Amino acid sequence: MAANFWTSSHYKQLFDQEEVDVVHPLDKEKGITLEDFKLIKMHMANYIGKLAQQVKVRQRVVATAVAYMRRVYTRKSMSEYDPRLVAPTCLYLASKAEESTVQARLLPFFIKKLYSDDKYRYEIKEILEMEMKILEALNYYLVVFHPYRSLPQFLQDAGINDITMIQLTWGLVNDTYRMDLILIHPPHLIALACIYIASAYREKDTTAWFEELRVDMNVVKNISMEILDFYESHRLITDEKVTAAFNKLKP
Amino acid sequence: MEKYEKLEKVGEGTYGKVYKAKDKVTGQLVALKKTRLEMDEEGVPPTALREVSLLQMLSQSLYVVRLLSVEHVDANSPNSNLDDSNPSKRNHNNNKSNLYLVFEYLDTDLKKFIDSHRKGANPRPLSPSLIQSFLFQLCKGVAHCHSHGVLHRDLKPQNLLLDQEKGILKIADLGLGRAFTVPLKSYTHEIVTLWYRAPEVLLGSTHYSTGVDMWSVGCIFAEMSRRQALFPGDSEFQQLLHIFRLLGTPTEEQWPGVTALRDWHVYPRWEPQNLSRAVPSLVPEGVDLLSKMLKYDPAERISAKAAMEHPYFDSLDKSQF
Repeated sequence: MAANFWTSSHYKQLFDQEEVDVVHPLDKEKGITLEDFKLIKMHMANYIGKLAQQVKVRQRVVATAVAYMRRVYTRKSMSEYDPRLVAPTCLYLASKAEESTVQARLLPFFIKKLYSDDKYRYEIKEILEMEMKILEALNYYLVVFHPYRSLPQFLQDAGINDITMIQLTWGLVNDTYRMDLILIHPPHLIALACIYIASAYREKDTTAWFEELRVDMNVVKNISMEILDFYESHRLITDEKVTAAFNKLKP
Repeated sequence: MEKYEKLEKVGEGTYGKVYKAKDKVTGQLVALKKTRLEMDEEGVPPTALREVSLLQMLSQSLYVVRLLSVEHVDANSPNSNLDDSNPSKRNHNNNKSNLYLVFEYLDTDLKKFIDSHRKGANPRPLSPSLIQSFLFQLCKGVAHCHSHGVLHRDLKPQNLLLDQEKGILKIADLGLGRAFTVPLKSYTHEIVTLWYRAPEVLLGSTHYSTGVDMWSVGCIFAEMSRRQALFPGDSEFQQLLHIFRLLGTPTEEQWPGVTALRDWHVYPRWEPQNLSRAVPSLVPEGVDLLSKMLKYDPAERISAKAAMEHPYFDSLDKSQF
């Protein structure tokens, strides 16, 4: 939709890590910790991905929807904005913004198919009402730039044409949406961090190529560390922990 | 919406009414533009969503009128005090709701400004340095829109707001709506002016691009210098004749494909006139830039970005923009 990240509202809306890591007072009262907060957002990002597979939309719509969801929770509480309603609504909204509209009536149908739990059940009317509230929470900033856009050029330029390596990088980018990176860093730096990790993992020497790029390698390395830290801690996440976090949200 | 006090209706924009209003707390003047949302079982229409978000993004430029906020008002909600619809009708309006776009308020526009120099107590030409400065700001704003893949499609002096004190020009009315068609009639049945419309649009081309805006920029440039419209047609046909009489009837050599356009007919053969005679007070560099904005072949028409580098602006201190 838009051609230039640097003049976009996305660029001007980037957050600091400290701003993103604030648990809303209403949620804090219920005992939600920063760890719970991250856990629930991660779980909802997965949920958006699963629902997207059912209604068949592109990865970019998923990425935009996750970015919306994460932005909403920089401003709103999970107590007032139930993640189980926010997640499908963000997918619905992203499908419109990214010009591959999903019919609203499909959502309740597939939600039911995915989760038998009543807490996930929401009807069209509720999704449409939440749509307007999310628009307001996002202040109508709907344009989101993603690492996917610059990734193919970077890979080509770095001389990476091994298909398994490309797939590995692509998968890493997908995984970055389980974190808040898209709210904090310019997307092309996230793409570079994923290439950096993939080349280290596959022992492909891209040092010279990175040196020629005029980017701050410290930032790229820091993003890479965050991604690796995430994978490390991800092993310790169990369904029980997610359920426990959600249980705290109960009224 | 309760935070604004509506002062007066200042216009019927192409897509809805515009009010001058005041922020009750800060006293800041704003322009409220009402856009109807036709809600159905699919919620907020995707077109409206994309437009508002583009506007939100584009209004970051100093040369595009600033969108301060967007407010949603449900026609059924009690706080819709700005909707002057008859309460008894509301029950039938279940799906009607409005988006209010809250813009910064500027007290005049280029049309009023030119008018004030043509008639009234003290008729006088616009100063050449002001024309140069306004045109540069206009090109800058248009370049900003084009770099985001957005066409304005309806540039005209009424849509260019002025901050007279600071000498700033801002583009307003950014094509809110109907992505690919140029409206002939607005929903308020006000006739949309044809004077700034590019020949390819008038001839029914469906694949037009950034050139349509640059044509309008050219017409506006000439109008600032002449203090009257360059091509004041009152129908699409008359509009084309106005253009042909000054620039000559276009030929296939000048503009490949023109005779294949949907609304092309056989027209009288006019020879091109000397453009400088239409803008007698404009310096030669200005006439050269104008002729590049009024090229028939849209592919040959100068871009907003290239226009900013034209020698006409050499004497302008660009660092102030």
